[in-house]
Amino acid sequence: MTDAPILSVSELSKNFGGVRALNQVSFDLQPGELLGVIGPNGSGKTTLVNLITRFVKPTSGEVFFKGKKISHLPPYKIVRLGIARTFQMVKPFYQLPAYKNMIIPLYSPRMRQLAGGHYGDRDAMALDLLEEVGFERDAHVAYKTAGALPQGYLKRLELAKALALQPDLFILDELFSGLSLAEVASIVPIIEKIRMAGKTIIMIEHRLKELFRIADRVIVMNYGEKIADGPAEAVMEDEAVKSAYLGTEAG
Amino acid sequence: MLVGTTIYALINTAILALMAIGFNLTFGISGVANFAYGAFYVFAAYGIWGMLNLLHIPYLLAVLIAVLANLILGALIYRFVLLRVRGQALSEVIATFGIGLAILELFSYFGWVGFEYTLPVFMDRSFIIAGTYVDFQRLAILGFSAVLIACLWWFTHHTSIGLAFRGIAQDERTALTFGIDSDRIAMLSVSFGAGIAALAALFIIPLGSIAPGEGYDVLIKALAVCIIGGLGSTGGVIAASFIVGFAERFTDTYIGSHWTMIVSLAAILLVLTIKPSGLFGKQKELEERI
Repeated sequence: MTDAPILSVSELSKNFGGVRALNQVSFDLQPGELLGVIGPNGSGKTTLVNLITRFVKPTSGEVFFKGKKISHLPPYKIVRLGIARTFQMVKPFYQLPAYKNMIIPLYSPRMRQLAGGHYGDRDAMALDLLEEVGFERDAHVAYKTAGALPQGYLKRLELAKALALQPDLFILDELFSGLSLAEVASIVPIIEKIRMAGKTIIMIEHRLKELFRIADRVIVMNYGEKIADGPAEAVMEDEAVKSAYLGTEAG
Repeated sequence: MLVGTTIYALINTAILALMAIGFNLTFGISGVANFAYGAFYVFAAYGIWGMLNLLHIPYLLAVLIAVLANLILGALIYRFVLLRVRGQALSEVIATFGIGLAILELFSYFGWVGFEYTLPVFMDRSFIIAGTYVDFQRLAILGFSAVLIACLWWFTHHTSIGLAFRGIAQDERTALTFGIDSDRIAMLSVSFGAGIAALAALFIIPLGSIAPGEGYDVLIKALAVCIIGGLGSTGGVIAASFIVGFAERFTDTYIGSHWTMIVSLAAILLVLTIKPSGLFGKQKELEERI
């Protein structure tokens, strides 16, 4: 763990009016690490993601990606540097077929940079990516209208759109929420595959059991503060974490 | 008389579509209702007029400058005014309407009104089609309007970049997630809309004359067509132009010209009563809204 961190978050804070949604959160992320971020509802997990990707402007604090300060950049520039995110609430283009939903990421400025102006067949690329996340090619699932697909496929579509950007850091906001056990079980190998390709991943999750199976390290948030940081087993033994999850005062 | 009326109704349809398509393009991509649209139309018309008659610049060069000026004006208005009120529909409407008002009233102040303020026709010739005299200018409008709409429709429906543009129209979050600067796209959409307003003026003004009042007229017609068709829908613009275009001409011929406005407004009311978001509108229907 002597590498330079790929992502470095330093004393990040956010006030919404008088509410402190995030308070002085700092952490470093090593390349290839899979970090889980957990915590009760309203503990600031999604705010943290929104601040890193700058969909929300931080009140104070800084974020560095590959050694470069990004906390002053607009969100579309951060994406171009190689951070892709998914959203808890998926918003596909419901009236388009699934593979046509891939058009925007496949034509995005980041893709243009990577391809160097050399485009392949975008539809074929879309179909390949979708197959990678589990759209069965034989069953022609990718040709179905997004509106006709179950939640499990929509989450995979969300993942495929992030994959299309070929990012170095994936931020997955509650990818497992709303999915059945079987659906989660089928997505886990896809995440492991992304990880084996050497990518760094941050996962915001409520599904702790599934998360702990794949996460190297877990950060626990409560009331906008980081209350624990470490391997899953150690973190869950922490008194502050126990009380946050059980909702009682420690001691 | 029926054939003649039909031909002129078709031409009227083309004129309406040409007036509305720029407004519609801007709204369709960025959701900005550009109420300065009519002013852009008049601005380009006076611009070309001034360059031809006061500065004696060659016709094609004057046209090129006017279209470029409109493209730049549209971009500047987005960059310096609209960007600050983005997302607040009412503020966008008030801001653009205010800008339009300022431009149009400035021309009124100069007193540039009269029959000499017009643009030259492309070719001073008429043809007899099915026993009806039609001048070349009107045929040019018919042709240009069809080509322009076909090009825009093809762009937004059959090129992947156009599809991406439409996608952005539907969701700004998606645009940002994939590294697309949604403000830049929105700026381009206002700019292109203004550019199309200049082209519309170039084709339509030779049929009449330039006056500040034209700005309001064009804006109201563009709005009417877009509202009937469903804001942002290209198919809707075509269908609505046909409805209003034919309603106007046929009322004019068979009922009386003073009824023209009433019949078109009745058509608008009827469509909106049956389908509140317009013929091809994608806004929520009444039941869904409640």
